[in-house]
Amino acid sequence: MRRALALLSLAAAFVVHRAGAQEPARIAFESYTLPNGLRVILAESHTAQVVAVDVWYNVGSRNEVAGRTGFAHLFEHMMFQGSAHVKKGEHMGLLDRAGSAGYNGSTTEDRTNYYEPLPSNRLNLGLWLEADRMRSLAITDSSFHNQREAVKEERRLRVDNQPYTKSIFEDAYTLMDPARCFPYSHSIIGSMADLDAARTPDVQAFFDLYYAPSNATLIVSGDFQSAEVRRLIAQYFGDIPGSRAAPAAVVCDQPFNTGALRRRVQDRNANLPAVMQIYRVPAYDSPDYPAIELLGAILGQGESSRLNRTLVREARLAAAAPVLVNPFGPRSGPGEFLVLAIANQGASVDSLDAAITVQLARVAADGVDEADLAKARNIYRAGVISGRQTAISVAEALQVANRFLGTPDAVNTDFARHMAVTAADIKRVAATYIRPDNSLTLLITAEATP
Amino acid sequence: MTPARLLMLALALAPAGAAAQAPASPPPAGPVRPAAFPPFQEAVLPNGIRMLLVENHAQPVVSLTLSLPAGSRYDPAGKEGLADMVAGLLTKGAGKRSADEMAAAIEGVGGSLSADADAEFLTIRANTLTPDAALGFALMGDAAIRPALADSELGLLRTQTLSGLQLELSQPASLAARYFARAVYGAHPYGRSSSPESVRAITRDDLLRFQRARLRPAGALLVVAGDLTLSAARQLAAQAFSGWTGTPAAAAPAAAPPVPSRTSILLVHRPGSVQSNIVIGNTTFLPTDPRGYALTVANRVLGGAASSRLFMILREQKSWTYGAYSDISEPRSIGTFEARTEVRTEVTDSALREILVQLRRIRSEPVPASELDAAKNSLVGSFPLSIQTATQVAAAVTSARLLDRPADYLATYRTRLSAVTAPALRAAARAAIRPDAGVIVVVGDGTRLYDKLRAIAPVRIIDAEGKPVAPADLVVAAAALPLDVGKLVARRDSFAVMVQGRPFGAQLSTLELTDSGFRYTEETHIPMAGVQQVTTLDLDKAAGVRHVVQAGTAQGKETRIDIVYAGGRARGSAATPGKDGTIQTVTVDTTVAAGSVDDNGILALLPALPWKAGARWTIPVFMSGQGTAGQMTLAVSGADSVTVPAGTFAVYRAELTGGPQPLTFFVTTAAPHRLVKVTVPGTPIEIQLVK
Repeated sequence: MRRALALLSLAAAFVVHRAGAQEPARIAFESYTLPNGLRVILAESHTAQVVAVDVWYNVGSRNEVAGRTGFAHLFEHMMFQGSAHVKKGEHMGLLDRAGSAGYNGSTTEDRTNYYEPLPSNRLNLGLWLEADRMRSLAITDSSFHNQREAVKEERRLRVDNQPYTKSIFEDAYTLMDPARCFPYSHSIIGSMADLDAARTPDVQAFFDLYYAPSNATLIVSGDFQSAEVRRLIAQYFGDIPGSRAAPAAVVCDQPFNTGALRRRVQDRNANLPAVMQIYRVPAYDSPDYPAIELLGAILGQGESSRLNRTLVREARLAAAAPVLVNPFGPRSGPGEFLVLAIANQGASVDSLDAAITVQLARVAADGVDEADLAKARNIYRAGVISGRQTAISVAEALQVANRFLGTPDAVNTDFARHMAVTAADIKRVAATYIRPDNSLTLLITAEATP
Repeated sequence: MTPARLLMLALALAPAGAAAQAPASPPPAGPVRPAAFPPFQEAVLPNGIRMLLVENHAQPVVSLTLSLPAGSRYDPAGKEGLADMVAGLLTKGAGKRSADEMAAAIEGVGGSLSADADAEFLTIRANTLTPDAALGFALMGDAAIRPALADSELGLLRTQTLSGLQLELSQPASLAARYFARAVYGAHPYGRSSSPESVRAITRDDLLRFQRARLRPAGALLVVAGDLTLSAARQLAAQAFSGWTGTPAAAAPAAAPPVPSRTSILLVHRPGSVQSNIVIGNTTFLPTDPRGYALTVANRVLGGAASSRLFMILREQKSWTYGAYSDISEPRSIGTFEARTEVRTEVTDSALREILVQLRRIRSEPVPASELDAAKNSLVGSFPLSIQTATQVAAAVTSARLLDRPADYLATYRTRLSAVTAPALRAAARAAIRPDAGVIVVVGDGTRLYDKLRAIAPVRIIDAEGKPVAPADLVVAAAALPLDVGKLVARRDSFAVMVQGRPFGAQLSTLELTDSGFRYTEETHIPMAGVQQVTTLDLDKAAGVRHVVQAGTAQGKETRIDIVYAGGRARGSAATPGKDGTIQTVTVDTTVAAGSVDDNGILALLPALPWKAGARWTIPVFMSGQGTAGQMTLAVSGADSVTVPAGTFAVYRAELTGGPQPLTFFVTTAAPHRLVKVTVPGTPIEIQLVK
C-alpha cells in the first residue's frame, strides 16, 4: 500500500511539474550589418546596470596550417597588446579602471572571442577598445616575443605541469586523421616547436586575413539604449576597412567508424591512472547533436548519471567519470564525445576501460527510459534558463546560435530542438557514434617516480 | 520630447556614412545612475534560523544556501577531514530517500543539491527552477536534520576522499595552498589539513556526534534568492525545518598563528616539475577591521587584477609567467594576504626577488594618485557586475552576515572604498603586507631550486607528503648507472666530424688507466666553427667524476670549465657559450646527486653499460658548463649495421634525451662496446669513427 501511495505521489509531483514546466524567456534582439560587413546583434535588457560587449572572429585553431599550430591562440594574446590609440599594457588598465570584471579572450577550434562585461555607463569604452584593435592592432617584435613567452608559460601551466590535462588538451586530438582533417587533429595550444617557429610577420598576415570586420560579429547585451549604441557602433566601427582577402576554406573530410584506436600514455604528473574514451560526433548543427548532448548528460552529468552510478558508486572503480562533449566549445566540424574516468586507488585501467565500454554499449543496445530522458531535458532546460541571468552569458548564447546554427534566432528555437529529442533518438545516436570502431581510447598510467 | 532625446533620435537616424569618426582617445564615462544594493528581507524562524530573502523575478530560478557553524575548525585532532566528510554524506541518503533516490529526485528536475565545508562553515546549497522550489527546501531539510550517514556511503566517500587527496598531491597549486596554510597559520585550526591517516581514522560514530552537536538551527543562516515571495519562502522553510531544535556549542579558543620575526622559505620538492609555484604571504587582521577597505585598495594596486603591478611586471615586462596576482582572504577568525605566481623553473629566484621588491615598495612608497584612483574606480565600478544575479546578491549578503560585518557594510561599501587615501593605503599595507616577516612557499624541483632560494632566505625542504627532506638528499631521483668498470679498457679512438657527408673537423678521445682510476681526454678541433677544445676528466676507480677541466675556444671565444666534485657537491666555475652564442660565466657551488655523471664524460662511460636490446637508463647528469643538474635518458631504440671510415659494425642505436640537444649514439653490439657514430637529430652533423 505504501508503495502504491508513493507511486501516486510521484505521479502527482510529475503532473504538477509538467503543468509548471518552464520555457526559457525569449531573448529579444535586433540585428543588422554595417556596410563594411561587420555583423551587429543587440539584445537590450535592463535587469541590472550591466552591459556586455562580445566580439567573435570566425577563426580558431581549425584555420591553422601545419608548422604553425597554436597560432590562433597566440594571436589572441596579441589583441591585448595595444592598437593605434591604446599603448602597450593599457588595454587591461582601461578596462579595470572602468570597473570591467571578467573581461578576457579565448580561442577554441572554431572561433576566437573577446568580451568585456562593464557597468552600463562604460559601454562606450568597451566598444571603442574593440573598434580600435579591429582597425589598427599594434604588432611589434617585442610584444610578440613577450606574448609568445606568456603562451609558453600558459602551456607549461595548463598542459605540461598538471595531471591528465595533456591527454585532454593534446592527445585527444589524435582521434582525427591529420591527413584527412588537419583542422581538428591538432591542439589549440600548439606545440612548443611551432610556437617557437612563429614570426612577427605571421601576426600581420593573420590579422589581415581573419580580423576584418566582415569576419566578425559584435554583440552588445544588457542595459543600453538601442539608438545610442547604434550611433556609437556606426561612429567607432563604421570606417574600419572591410574585407581584406577571403580566408581559405577549412577542409575536413574525417571519416567515421574507421576502426578502434588505442594507446597507452604515461602521465608523469598523475598519481592515479585514468581512462579516456573519445568518440567522433558530428558538427553542432547536425540533427543528431541535441540527442548527443542529452546522451552525454544521461551518461556523465551528475550523481545520478549512469557512469557515476555504476562505475563510481557501485563498482567503485573510478573516483569520477564525467562526460564532456566538445570540452572547448561547439564545432562546425566533427567533434568529440569524451569520457574521462579517473581510477580509484587499486583499480586497474583495463578493468575501468572495460566497465565504461559496457555502460556505453548498454545504451546502444537497450536505449534509455523516460525518466532518464526527462532528467536530461530538465538539466538542459535549467542550464538554458540559468544562462539567461547575466549579460555576458546571453551574448555568448546569441553568438553560438549565430555562428553554429546560422542565425541568432536559433537562440530561441534551439531549446525546442532539444525538447523534441526522443528516447529512440538517443538509442540511435548511441548506436551510430558511440561504438568502439569510432573511438580513441587512452589508457593513462601514472608514471612511477624513478 | 526633450532636446537631448531629439538629438539622440537625429543621430540614430543619420546614415552610417555621416557618423563622426572614432575618437583618438578613450571616450569618457557616461553618467552614473544611482544604484542601491538590491533590497533583501529578513525573518527569524521559530527555531532560531535566520532567513534572508533576496527577491528577484527576472528568471524562474530559486537558490537556497544554508550555512552552519560546522567547518573544519571543529574537527577533533587526528580526525582532520571530518567536517568535509559530514558535508559529503548529508546528500548521500537522508529522510526517506537513499543516496540514489536523492540524486535522482533533484537531478530529475534539473536542479542541484550539494554540501561542503570550509574552515568555519558547513554550507548546504540547493538550486531549482521555481516550480520545484518545494523539492529543494524538502531535500535541504532532510540533509540538515535527518542524514542517514550510512556506513556503506562512508566507505565509498572514504575511498573517493583518499583518491582526491592523491590527486591533490599531484597538483602543484593544491600543494602550494596546502603548505602555505600550514606555514602561515601554524597551530591555528586554519592551518590543519587532512591526511590519508586522519581520513582513515574517521568512524560513523564521529560523523553522528559531529552532526548532532554542530548541525543545529540556532546560529544557522538560510539565504533564499530568486523567484519567491517572503510568505512562500517562510512557509516552505517552516515546513522543511520543522521539528529541528538546538544550539551548537561555541568554538573553543584557537591557538594564535605564529608571528615570524623574519621570512623563511618552505620548499616543497616536486621532482621534475617544469614550473615553480610561488606563494608569499602572512596573516592580517579580522574581517571587521576598518583597515580592510584600504587593504582592499592596496591589494588592487599590487596584484588584484591583470592591470596591477605584479601582472604587468612579471608577465608583461619580464615574460616569466602566465599570471601573477595577490589576494586577501578574510575568514572570520583571522585573514591572510598572499601574492602568488607560477613561473618556469629557471626564473624562480628572479621572480621571487621581484615579488619581494614589489611587496616592500607598496609599504614604503606612496601610491601615485593616478594608480590609487584607477584601483578605486575599478573596485567601485565593478561592484554592479558582482551582483547581477540573485545568487550573487545572496552570496554577498551571506558573506557579510557570516563575517559579522556591520549592518550597512554592503550599502556603504562603495562609498568607503572611494574614501581611501594614499596614506591610509600605506598604513594598511604596512600592517598587512609583511614580505620580511612572513612565509614563502615554493613548489618545484628542489634539485634545481635549493641553492638559488638559499641565497634569498633560509630554506626548509619537504616532499609532497610533508616529510622533511635533507638538502643532501635532494638528489636527482635516478639510480646511479649500473656500470661495470671492468669493461673500461684503455683506448684511443679518433673520429671525423662530418657535415652533410663532408669532413669539418676531428675529435680524439682517449681513456687511460691511472693509479687512482681513469683519465678521459677529449680533443675537439672544428676550424669552421672556431672550436678548439681539450676536455679532461679525472675519474675514481668506480668511474665517478672527481675533476673536470675544459680549455679552448668555441666560435672563436675562449671557454673554460674547472669543476671539482667532492663530498656531494660540485665547486668551481665555467664559461661556455649560451643559447645566443655569448659566453656565460657561472660560479658553481651546489649539491649534486650521488652517482651523477658529468655531461662531458658520458661518452667515456658507454662501454661500461650493460648493453642489450630495449635497455633504458636514466642518468643523473650535472652539466658543468651551465652549473645545473638534470636527468637524461639513454634508450636503446634498435639494432643496425653502420659503415664508417673505420669499417662496418653491428651496432645498437641509442637515443640520448633530456639534455640541451638530443643525440643518437651507435655502439657496437660486441664488447668492448665501442662508440662508432654519433648523429645530431634534425641537423646534418655526424661524428664517425675513423680508427
